Amino acid sequence: MQFGLMQLWDGGWVGAILRGAGITILVAIGAMLLGLVTGIACGLIKWARVVPLNWLVDIYTTVVRGVPELLIIYLLFFSSVEFVARIGTAFGWAGLAETGYPFLIGIIAIGAISGSYSTEVVRGALAAIPTGHVEAARALGMPRERIFRRIILPQMLRIAAPGVNNVWQATMKDTALISVVGLQELMRTAYVGAGSTRSPFIFYLVAGAVYLAITFVSQVGFKRAERALVLKGRA
Amino acid sequence: MDWDLLHRAVTTIGKGVGTTLTLASISLAIGFCLGLGLAVMRVSGNRLLSGFAEYYSAVFRGTPLLVQLFLFYYGLGQFDFVRDNPVLWWVVGGGMHCAIMALALNTAAYTSEILRGGLMSIPTGLIEAAKAAGMSRILRFRRIEFPLAIRQALPAYGNEMVLVIKGTSLASTITVLEITGHAKRLMSQTYAIFEIFAIAGIFYLLINTALILAVRWIENRLTSPGR
Amino acid sequence: MKLKLLSLAAILACGLSPLAHAAEGELVIGTEGAYPPFSMADANGNVTGFDADVGNAVCEKLQLKCRFVVQAFDGLIPALNAKRFDIIISGMSITDERQKQIDFSNSYAEFPNQFVAKKDTDLAAAKDFDTLKKDLSGLRVGVQSGTTHAAYVEKVMPDAQLMTYDTLDQMQIDLSSGRLDTSFADTSAQNDFLAKPEAADFQLVDVVIDSASDATLGKGLGIGIRKDEGDLKARINQALCDLGEDGTLKTASEKWFKLDISQKCK
Repeated sequence: MQFGLMQLWDGGWVGAILRGAGITILVAIGAMLLGLVTGIACGLIKWARVVPLNWLVDIYTTVVRGVPELLIIYLLFFSSVEFVARIGTAFGWAGLAETGYPFLIGIIAIGAISGSYSTEVVRGALAAIPTGHVEAARALGMPRERIFRRIILPQMLRIAAPGVNNVWQATMKDTALISVVGLQELMRTAYVGAGSTRSPFIFYLVAGAVYLAITFVSQVGFKRAERALVLKGRA
Repeated sequence: MDWDLLHRAVTTIGKGVGTTLTLASISLAIGFCLGLGLAVMRVSGNRLLSGFAEYYSAVFRGTPLLVQLFLFYYGLGQFDFVRDNPVLWWVVGGGMHCAIMALALNTAAYTSEILRGGLMSIPTGLIEAAKAAGMSRILRFRRIEFPLAIRQALPAYGNEMVLVIKGTSLASTITVLEITGHAKRLMSQTYAIFEIFAIAGIFYLLINTALILAVRWIENRLTSPGR
Repeated sequence: MKLKLLSLAAILACGLSPLAHAAEGELVIGTEGAYPPFSMADANGNVTGFDADVGNAVCEKLQLKCRFVVQAFDGLIPALNAKRFDIIISGMSITDERQKQIDFSNSYAEFPNQFVAKKDTDLAAAKDFDTLKKDLSGLRVGVQSGTTHAAYVEKVMPDAQLMTYDTLDQMQIDLSSGRLDTSFADTSAQNDFLAKPEAADFQLVDVVIDSASDATLGKGLGIGIRKDEGDLKARINQALCDLGEDGTLKTASEKWFKLDISQKCK
């Protein structure tokens, strides 16, 4: 009974797995940022109840949270709408858009999914800010932009921090799904290696271990960040 | 509007609904029992038990479900001792059974966290009163801790049930023909991407909405009026 | 703020240019890269195989530089339409369904298809089509997703339990571990599988199924081209004719398949 350790070591798979892990982290960060931007925008829209935009946001979050991520990824992968590629070119990533086509689709797909969860976190955080603070600021005659910048945003970020941590964990794990459309991230590398060496057990075990490592490191990082946020503010 | 295509899509994908529901319900049932056991282990004073529960939870929640699924299906299927053993092969050999096992083990980890939260949220006063009244450990658990924990955990568990329904879609990657499996096959054949996505999506939304409504109804029934 | 918006608009304006031709004089070819002996890709993205040879030969005739892009098989057609590459050469058969989405060149090769089965089973002993069909009833048949083989088994053998896989590798792993009873693919891919150590217990089933036997199997392999590229299609057809005449296709075919499956110009 061979576990396949030798196959893993030969053929340069270790390097490939590390490269795959790198891509996973890049896609996860890209998707998380896209999701946060989307989440903050949509969360604000829902909290401020901007009609009719907030109905659109509702449809967006309901659909993306109720439909499996895999289906959403198949939608984007198979429909391969041309504008996805053009977005890439528009941002100056012409070369990346061609070779990094699954990369872009991955970030957009996971970003859209992550954004729906972020929207809920942001909305919940905004709702948790005591209304008294905003009223007092208005009574003092503060302009709207400053109220947002000095009162709402800092508190929202602090309250949302644990929720954002959860969204990050979920986003990072969802990146594994892009493997089914061929992006050479960690899961896909394990998949190809498993198929080519016929030793799936060791490859998926190692992939799992790498995901755990990423999870562990981000947990530690988030705990540190939370502590910093709490110390800075007073509430 | 290609009615033929729509009709074909709805009937084909509809065939997967039963499979999706079967996958989800069996996984949830097994996962709940396992999760309850793990939660109890976690809050028990025993270092060995609570340590095991903690690591189990960290491993299954810290890795993607897809990795777990492939590890069980392809990884375990690689070994002769698994293939030759009829019991093990019954679990790992077929896509459906393997998916149920992976989903159950996965949801057990999340369920244990939810139930742990529920168990820990019980006011200590209640437990002390029960102890003072002379209730045995088991009786106390059965009459006081468990019902209160469940009620507290219900909203979060409802969320977890929706996640399990979504998780069943991953079974399509190991040949199981549930909703997503049928949808993908149709997409490959007909390239009517948006229509098929919409139909499959609607099926999932209907199932999840029904589930959420059911959970809310149970929540209402369990919450005593007044306080 | 305004400067940012202006520069963003400028970038967007520059960006709305066609994507595929990264450089003039280049032909970007989409292929699967995981389907020996048609299309194999190594870790660095170098593509080899029958399709690679055909692709390189066509590029030479058209006096363009070849560049291969690897992509999962069932995503090749959408990606072509999204202009990720210019043409598809990936052992893809010309079928009516596919012709709704894209255009094809003339057929450049046609391959036979066969089932594999475990030795000493009823299926392995089948010698004619009807026995084959009867034996397949209730068996678990592995096929690759989005291929003509999948469509064929679904249509012609509805009694069989059809299991689709994204890649050949996955299908072959399940076949050798006993989750499948048989698989259906073109003969060369099956021979490639049988050469592997894990396939020691397997053999080809003697019934050969030609593309001509059913419409689902298509009308031979073609080069996939977008619908609005009539000019490119004409040039490629001319190139294929030339390659058929001078024997390049035949040589490539014999190199990879040990038999000539190439087709001359009609």
